[in-house]
Amino acid sequence: IAGVLTWATLLKVSHGHCLLCFSCLVTLVFVSPLPQFIYIIPKPSSFRLRSLTSNHISNLSMDLRLPSKVLEHILSFVDSNEDRNSVSLVCKSWFETERRTRKRVFVRNCYAVTPEAVARRFPETRSLTLKGKPHFADYNLVPDGWGGYAWPWIEAMAAKCPSLEELRLKRMVVTDECLEKIAASFKDFKVLVLTSCEGFSTDGLAAIAVACRNLRELELRECIVEDIGGDWLSYFPETLTSLVSLDFSCLDSEVKLSDLERLLSRSPNLKSLKLNRAVSLDALGSLLRLAPQLVELGTGSFSDKLDQEAVAKLSQAFSELKELKSLSGLWDVLPEYIPLLYSVCPGLTSLNLSYATVQMSDLVELITGCSNLQKLWVMDLIEDKGLEVVASSCKELRELRVFPSGAEGLNDTNVAMTEQGLVSVSEGCPNLESVLYFCVQFTNAAMVTIARNRPNLTCFRLCVMEPFAPDHKTQQPLDEGFKAIVERCKDLQRLSVSGLLTDKAFEYIGTHGKKLRMLSIAFAGDSDLMLHHLLSGCESLNKLEIRDCPFGDTALLENAAKLETMRSLWMSSCCVSFGACKLLSPKMPKLNVEVIDEHPLETRPDSSPVERIYIYRTLAGPRLDMPEFVWTIQKNPEIGVSHLAIK
Amino acid sequence: MENSNSYSPYSSSSVDSTKPSLSVNLSLSLTFPSTSSQRATSQDWPPIKPRLRDTLKSLRLRQRGYNTALFIKVYMEGVPIGRKLDLSTFSGYESLLENLSGMFDTSVICGNRDRKHHVLTYQDKDGDWMMVGDIPWDMFLETVRRLKITRPERC
Repeated sequence: IAGVLTWATLLKVSHGHCLLCFSCLVTLVFVSPLPQFIYIIPKPSSFRLRSLTSNHISNLSMDLRLPSKVLEHILSFVDSNEDRNSVSLVCKSWFETERRTRKRVFVRNCYAVTPEAVARRFPETRSLTLKGKPHFADYNLVPDGWGGYAWPWIEAMAAKCPSLEELRLKRMVVTDECLEKIAASFKDFKVLVLTSCEGFSTDGLAAIAVACRNLRELELRECIVEDIGGDWLSYFPETLTSLVSLDFSCLDSEVKLSDLERLLSRSPNLKSLKLNRAVSLDALGSLLRLAPQLVELGTGSFSDKLDQEAVAKLSQAFSELKELKSLSGLWDVLPEYIPLLYSVCPGLTSLNLSYATVQMSDLVELITGCSNLQKLWVMDLIEDKGLEVVASSCKELRELRVFPSGAEGLNDTNVAMTEQGLVSVSEGCPNLESVLYFCVQFTNAAMVTIARNRPNLTCFRLCVMEPFAPDHKTQQPLDEGFKAIVERCKDLQRLSVSGLLTDKAFEYIGTHGKKLRMLSIAFAGDSDLMLHHLLSGCESLNKLEIRDCPFGDTALLENAAKLETMRSLWMSSCCVSFGACKLLSPKMPKLNVEVIDEHPLETRPDSSPVERIYIYRTLAGPRLDMPEFVWTIQKNPEIGVSHLAIK
Repeated sequence: MENSNSYSPYSSSSVDSTKPSLSVNLSLSLTFPSTSSQRATSQDWPPIKPRLRDTLKSLRLRQRGYNTALFIKVYMEGVPIGRKLDLSTFSGYESLLENLSGMFDTSVICGNRDRKHHVLTYQDKDGDWMMVGDIPWDMFLETVRRLKITRPERC
């Protein structure tokens, strides 16, 4: 049923006629079955198409008889895929027109649908975004060889969508052959962004560099690349002048400075440059002089010893960066070089110090200068005192992430950072909406205060690193703290919990976390009840990932229907039995139930717990590229079928 | 699956708020990320991304004075001439094994005894010969004196 848009003019339309104003932004809403309305809304405006469910489509006895050219024109204003999905449900001809005009496709689980189906449905795709492995793959919980191969997608797109220009992949296995295929198949390829991907080498990068004549963006974010050498950069042809963004920060080997300098000289549109650690501080100076228009900069190593003249030159180069908004890199930054950055601080909206292992005292003046900062990523070396400075200086702060410097040795906690740091920031920064905070311990009182201060939080990820750590002042579980968070922060979409938690905490989350879409849990809870609360209570739950919790079959089987409304569920080191997995699978044909277990399952008793289970909804059925250690009910365990249908 | 911690939070009774503090077992599993209940390995806890983990590891090593190289002798059983290897260049067991497999042109593994593969062992500072892979990497670096790649049957 259509929502009421107060600024809209309602025009009733009789069958076969319609009045359209082409200079306006038009949105179309259908109310089933009759009457039919067209809303004309002056642009610009943000609007939401109220969607029909697929149930309505059968009731609609006639379409609006809009000529498809007209509809195409209207659809060219409809950007959001959510709206386009609604449009495609109206009737067959609208489905056809929409699918032929959709330019950007997002597939948030590469196994939810087949590449061929996507390529066939959207032949005019210009931009494809794909995600592969589950999120916990970032923390080594998904064994190598599990899947997430990009090849079948690239192959399908090369065959059916040759106008593809942009490819964004996250947590996928990308081989050199994939990169070569991209270079060879898409004539106007412009954007390649690989996040947390692996499987390729610098040779593959060379293939992209040499062939993509109109390349705009090449970004490798935290990828694991087989680094054969820095030559790949020299493969960018002299004719390439379109580069806007280059990020090779995850590579190890040195690129030739002269290649980089020449590239920068002929890239007047370059806005974002993220260097790798091997680029020296000395080199940075000359690079900055060639690209003073940069908006985003990731430096290389910040620790060479420079003479006074070089330092002065570098300082000058930084002060020339008038457009700079984002700064990262800063590996091994020596305290004496931090003042070099002062000139850019007032303009910064984003500062990533997560590799800068400097002490709090060195950071204070830097932070004080960043009055426009919206995003800050920093090590816990900043301590409570440093976070107080953040609270008083960075009033525009929206996102804070604090990483654990002592992570590689849990006993090493000489850092004076406690829950108080986060409390200060929650008090001082009115726009704070996203938090990722690693610390050794926490208290309920702190969380209650934070929730009271910041009911506008949308993302709260607290990682108390000591598993099962209670409130360190009261020794109570952290149930009450998380209760305050979910109760007060009504728009909370993402939550990670930790510390000592009982089933009560999950009861609270189930009761109050109505907008929660993603939830991460580790070492928590007492029993199955925990999962039951979550699955039955959290209406918007989309992704749930759990490790090392004592929960098992009952809640899973009881709430099986819920799983079809979610994108995915991950559980590792819990108490789900082999028998339950076998029961679950035939119940839910639209789910893939994958058991990921190193020990052979053929001889397992039904009661034995499985190591990991990954359940996701899919239209594509069981995948064909499962390795030996992934078991689904469709695979015959005796034969041990597994075929790797990938390159 | 063995529960190697003496403490179990999986009681079916109501919460005991005087639970003793837990010392997490940081034993390292190599062929497969550890999934035994309650074992947070140093590879997957706390949940930080690989690049950050590696950066912190090398920072840790530097703090402990491992700036200098750590050359140790490596012998393949049955071959009189050994090799020398700088352990400080490796980030962990995986890269060590890869390198050894390349150096000796055979598949070298640790942990599981196998008829097909060569198993890596080491001599610790007490002079005892041990299976490689049971302890966290940085602890290993502190205690290892020499390496031996054994033939499978001998183990």
